[in-house]
Amino acid sequence: MTDEDNLDADADLGFAPAVVDNAGRTAPTRTASRRPSGFRRRAASLAVLIGALTAVGGGYAMLAPTSGADDTAATSQDVEAGRQLYNTSCITCHGANLEGVTGRGPTLVGTGSADVYFQVSTGRMPAPVQGALELRKVPKYTEQQILQLGAFVQSQGGGPQVPPADADLRAGSDQLGDGGELFRLNCASCHGATAHGAPLSAGKIAPDLYRSTDRQLYTAMLVGPENMPVFSNNQITPEQKKAIIAYVQTMKEAKDPGGAGLGRIGPVAEGLVIWTAGLGVLMVSILWIGARL
Amino acid sequence: MSTTHHTTGESMSAEEAARLSPEEAMIAGAEADGVYIVHRRERFPIAGTRAEKRAERTIAGVFLLGFLAAVGFIVVFCGAVPYEWRLPGTGSQNYRYFTPLVGGLLGLSLACIGIGVVLWAKWLLPEEEAVQDRHDGASGMTEQVLMAGTLVSGFNDLGVARRSMLKTTLGLAGGALGVVPLVALVGAMIKKPGRGEGQSLFHTPYKAGVPLVYYDGRRVGPDDLQPGGIATVFPGVEGGVKDSDSPTLLIRLKPGQTVKARKGQADFGWGDYVAYSKICTHAGCPASLFEQKTGRLLCPCHQSQFDVLQDAKPVFGPATRSLPKLPLTVEMVDGKQYFTAKGDFPEAIGPSFWERP
Amino acid sequence: MTTTSDDLSKAPTVKGPKRFDKPRTPIGKAGRWSEDRLGAAGGMRKQLNKVFPDHWSFMMGEIALYSFIILILSGTFLTFFFDASMAEVRYDGSYVPLDGVEMSRAYASTLNISFDVRGGLVKRQIHHWAALLFMAAMLIHMFRVFFTGAFRKPRELNWLIGLGLITLGLVEGFAGYSLPDDLLSGTGLRIAAAIMQSIPVIGSWAEFLVFGGKFPGTVIIGRLYIVHVLLVPGILAGLIGAHMALLIKQKHTEFPGPGKTEQTVSGERMYPTYGMKAGGFFFIVFAVCAALGGLAQINPVWLFGPYNPAQVSSGSQPDWYIGFLDGSTRLFPSWEIRLFDHTIPPLFWPTLVLPGILFSLAGAYPFLEAKFTHDKSAHNLLQRPRDVPVRTGLGAMAITFYGVLLVSGGNDLIAKAFDISLNAMTWAGRICLLVLPPLAYAITYKICLGLQRHDREVLEHGIETGIIKLLPNGEFIEVHQPLGPVDDHGHGQLAYAGSKVPKKMNELGNPHGHKIRGFFYPVREKTDIQAELDALAAAEARGEHRQKELTD
Repeated sequence: MTDEDNLDADADLGFAPAVVDNAGRTAPTRTASRRPSGFRRRAASLAVLIGALTAVGGGYAMLAPTSGADDTAATSQDVEAGRQLYNTSCITCHGANLEGVTGRGPTLVGTGSADVYFQVSTGRMPAPVQGALELRKVPKYTEQQILQLGAFVQSQGGGPQVPPADADLRAGSDQLGDGGELFRLNCASCHGATAHGAPLSAGKIAPDLYRSTDRQLYTAMLVGPENMPVFSNNQITPEQKKAIIAYVQTMKEAKDPGGAGLGRIGPVAEGLVIWTAGLGVLMVSILWIGARL
Repeated sequence: MSTTHHTTGESMSAEEAARLSPEEAMIAGAEADGVYIVHRRERFPIAGTRAEKRAERTIAGVFLLGFLAAVGFIVVFCGAVPYEWRLPGTGSQNYRYFTPLVGGLLGLSLACIGIGVVLWAKWLLPEEEAVQDRHDGASGMTEQVLMAGTLVSGFNDLGVARRSMLKTTLGLAGGALGVVPLVALVGAMIKKPGRGEGQSLFHTPYKAGVPLVYYDGRRVGPDDLQPGGIATVFPGVEGGVKDSDSPTLLIRLKPGQTVKARKGQADFGWGDYVAYSKICTHAGCPASLFEQKTGRLLCPCHQSQFDVLQDAKPVFGPATRSLPKLPLTVEMVDGKQYFTAKGDFPEAIGPSFWERP
Repeated sequence: MTTTSDDLSKAPTVKGPKRFDKPRTPIGKAGRWSEDRLGAAGGMRKQLNKVFPDHWSFMMGEIALYSFIILILSGTFLTFFFDASMAEVRYDGSYVPLDGVEMSRAYASTLNISFDVRGGLVKRQIHHWAALLFMAAMLIHMFRVFFTGAFRKPRELNWLIGLGLITLGLVEGFAGYSLPDDLLSGTGLRIAAAIMQSIPVIGSWAEFLVFGGKFPGTVIIGRLYIVHVLLVPGILAGLIGAHMALLIKQKHTEFPGPGKTEQTVSGERMYPTYGMKAGGFFFIVFAVCAALGGLAQINPVWLFGPYNPAQVSSGSQPDWYIGFLDGSTRLFPSWEIRLFDHTIPPLFWPTLVLPGILFSLAGAYPFLEAKFTHDKSAHNLLQRPRDVPVRTGLGAMAITFYGVLLVSGGNDLIAKAFDISLNAMTWAGRICLLVLPPLAYAITYKICLGLQRHDREVLEHGIETGIIKLLPNGEFIEVHQPLGPVDDHGHGQLAYAGSKVPKKMNELGNPHGHKIRGFFYPVREKTDIQAELDALAAAEARGEHRQKELTD
C-alpha cells in the first residue's frame, strides 16, 4: 500500500459529520515516528485543517442523495433500501425521523453509519426491548443490508462513517508495538490485556473482543457504543486505530506457545488448575502409594 | 543355623554377627535400633513364578516407556520441532507444539520412573510391617539432672550471679553490637520520604503552564475529544510521561452531564472537560474503566467506583477519597487551542498515607 | 553399643562365611571405604531402619518438599538468563508484537527466556507451576496436621516452623511473581507499595526504604531478585531442614488402630521400601510440574506488556496464594481514620492487620487448645476429625473464611463469567464472609457428632448385613453382624478406640487395608513379639523349617 492509497482511504475513514457538533476532521498524515517533531506537528495541523475542510465538504456532498463518487459511497438505491429496512425494524423505537421514542430508543440523528454498522453487525440491534446493556448476538442482517441501513441513517443526520468495504483496517506488523502500547493504555483497562473483557459497575460489562472484526473494532472506537468512551480521530488517529486493530487481531490469532492458554485470564485460572488438575493428580497418586496393595 | 532373632547387636559378638545371613543381620540390627519387624513376607514366596515375571515385565515396560519419552524429549529439544516464535502468516506456527511436547515428554519420562519405582516397591519388595520404639519425650531423669548440673556448674564458673558488673557491661556491648547490623542495613537503605527531585509525596510534575500531552508527546487540545471521550494525558515535561504519579484522565462530558465541583475548585474544569488523577486513591492502580453514559469510573484492582458527575467521589468499594482534580486551562499556539495545567493537583494523588491530612 | 565392623576387623581369627575386613563385592568395598573414614555404620543403620507410617495423607508435606526442590532446580536455570535490571531497553527479540516497545531489562530478559532461549519457556512455566504447587501443598499439609491434631505436644514447634514456611512462601512467591516487571506484576507491586505506605506513622518511610525512593524507582527489581534467589530460599531451606530434623527426632505421628501405641510407630522401614516409595513420589511430583509446565500456559507476560504506571488491565489478579489478601481488600468497606491531620488508610486493615490476626491465631492455636482442654500430655497418635468436633468445626470455619476471601479475590472474573453484577458480588462476599464461617462451624460440628454416633452404633449393634429376618412373632428385623463379643442383649462390648470402624461386611478383618490381621486382638506389645520370636527360635532349634512369617 502506498502512502497515496493511505491518504485516500483515510479521508474516507474520517469523522465526517454533516451538521452536528464541531467540524469534522481527519488526520491524513502518517506519523512514522512516535514523537513527532515540531515541524511534523505543524504539518499535521495544516493537514488536519485541509482534511477537515475536505471532509466537511464531503459530508455535505454525502447528504445529497446523488453522491456516489466511489463504490463505497451510498447510492440512492442503498439509502432507499436502508429506509425500507429502517421502517420495518427500527422505526418503532427510533421514530419515523430518527428522533427516538421516549422509553424505547434514543435518537439516531448524528450517530452515523459507523454506529449503525457496529450495533447491527454485532447483533445488538435490532433489540426486542430497550435494556441497560445489549450483548453481542448473531446479526439479523447481511453485511450489505447493514451498510444500506447505515447509508440511510447517514443520509438523515450525518455522523461518523463506517469505513468503506475495501479499506484495509490493519496496520502493518511494524506498527504492532505502537498498537500494543495504545491498546494497553486506552483499551486494556476495560477489555483486558488479552481482550477477555471485564465487568463494569452494577451489572454492566465491557465485552470480550474475541469475535470482533476489524471494522467492528474500528467503528466501536469511533463512536463509543453503550458505555464505551469515544476515541475520536484527533485523539487516536486512524493510523493509530489501525495499529490497535492489528495488535488485537494478531494477539488473538497468535497461537499460545506455552500449551493450553487457559482462557488467557491469568492467575485465577492458573490457581484453579493447580488445585484441581495438579493437586488432583497428586492426591490420586498418594492414595495409590499409601494404599497397601 | 544359629538362633539369633532375639539376640540384639549389643549382646552379639563380631564372630556371631559375621555368621548371620544379610537378612538375619538386618533383623538383628533393626532390633538394636528398637525396630521390630512384626511381619515380613516375600510377595512371591516361590521365585520365578509366572505372576512374578509378569510383574517384573510390567515394571520394566514402564521404565522402557520412560526411556523412550526421555529420548523423545532430547529429539524434540534438539531441533525436531521449531521453537522460534513466528508472527501468524509469516512462518510455521509449529512453535506452539514445542513447549507442550518437551514438557509433556519430560513429564511422561519422570512419571514413568516414579511409577515404576513405586510399583517395584509395592509389587516386588517384601511385605513388611515394622514397629519402632519412639524413645521420645524428655530425656531420662538422670540425664536431665546431669545436664542441669553441667549448666549450673558452668554458670558458677563464670560467676554469672556474682559478677553483675561484667554481666551488665557485656550486655551493653552485646546489645549495642546486636543493633549494628540492623542499623547498617536500614541506615544504608533509609530515605526521607519526599526528599529529592521528583520524590515528593504531595506534588506531581504538573505546574501552572505545563502542557498536557498524550503518551507519544502530542499536545492535547479541546478539539481532540468527542463528548463521552477520554484520554490519558501527562504533563509535557521531561520524564512526565514515565512519572508514576502523573497519569491523568481527561474526560469530555456528554451534553447534559454536569460536574458538581468541590469547594474552591469551581474553575478547575474547562468547558465540558474535566481532568482527574488516574491513580486510584485506594491502592494506586490506574482507575480508568470509564462508563461514558453513567459517568462512573471503576478501578479494576479492587472495584472502587467513582462518580465523575459527583466530581469523582467514591460511591462504591473500598476507596475513601475523591480522585484529585487537575485545574485546566487552554492556551493558543499557532491559532490552535491546547490544554495546559493551571497548577498542580490541589492535594496528594494516589493512596493515602500517614502524613497526609 | 552396636557391633561395628571395627570390631570385626580386629578379629582375624573369624572363620565365617563372610570376611567383612576383606570385602569382595562393590557394595562391600564402598561400605568398607566409607566406614574407615566416617565410622557411621551404626548411626546410618539407625536412619535406614527408621520406620515411617504410610497413611496417604502423610504424603502431602512431601509434595511441598519436592516442589521446593523442583523450584530450586528450575530457578537455578532461570538465573542463567534473567537480568534483574530496571534499565530501559527497546525490545528487538522474536516476539514481534512488542517490537520497539520500551521496557526494563528484566522484562526483556523474561521475553528472551520465553522466546529466544530454547526450552526456556517450559522451564519458566515449570518454575511457576511448582511455585503454585508448593503453596497449595503446604496449605493442605497444614489442614491435615490441623484436623488430625498432629500439632499437639510435642509438635507445637514444628507447627510454628510450618507456619513460618507458609509466610515466607508468600513473600517468596510474590517476589518471584514481581520479577518479570510486566504490567500484571507491576500493578501488584504498585499495590504492595500502597500497602507499605498505609502503615501508620512509618508508612512512607517503609516505602522509601524498600523502593529506594518513590514507587517504582530503579532498584526494586534488583532487590526483589536477591530476596527471591538467595535470602528467602536460604531461610526456607534452613526452616525446611529444621522441620525435617524435628520430624526425624520426634518420629511421625500415626492414626490409632490395631498395633498402634503412643510409644511406638509402625509402618515401613526407610530402607528400602519407604525410601523407594518416597523417591518414586518425587518423580511423580516432578512429572506433574513438568507436564503442567508444558501443557498449560502460565503467566504469559508477553500478552500483558511491560509495566507502565499509566496502564492497567482489567482482571488483574495476584497468584492464588495472595488471592485471599486481594479478596479482603476488595470486600473491606471504605473506612479511613483521620486524626489530627494524619490518616490511617483503609488499605491498612485488610492487607496487614487481617493477615496478622489470621497468622497469629494459627500460631497460637496449639497453645490455646492445650490451655482450654487442659491437655498437657504428649500425643503421638492422631485424632480422627470427627472425634474433636470443636476443633474440626473451627477448622472448617477458618477454611470457609479463607475461601470466601479467596473467591472474592477473583470476583470480577466470576461476575463476568456468570453475568452477575460486580457490586452484587462484592456485597455477596461481604455477607458470606460474616455468615458462612459460623454456619460452617455449626454444620461441621453436627456432622462430626453424627459420624461419632454412627461409629458407636456399629460397635454396639454390629454391621448392617442387609439380611431381613422374619421372626416367629411376625416382626421383621435386620440381622447385624457384631464386631466382637456381645453381652446377653446382643450388644457389642467393644469400646471406640479412635480408629476407623468397619461399616460394611467387606471391610471386616481388613481395617485400613492393613496386613496385620486380627483387628480385634489387643494391642500387641513388644513383649508379645519377643515371645513369638522366642517361640520361633525354639521351633527352629528343633530343626523345623524356618518361617519368614513371624506373625499370624
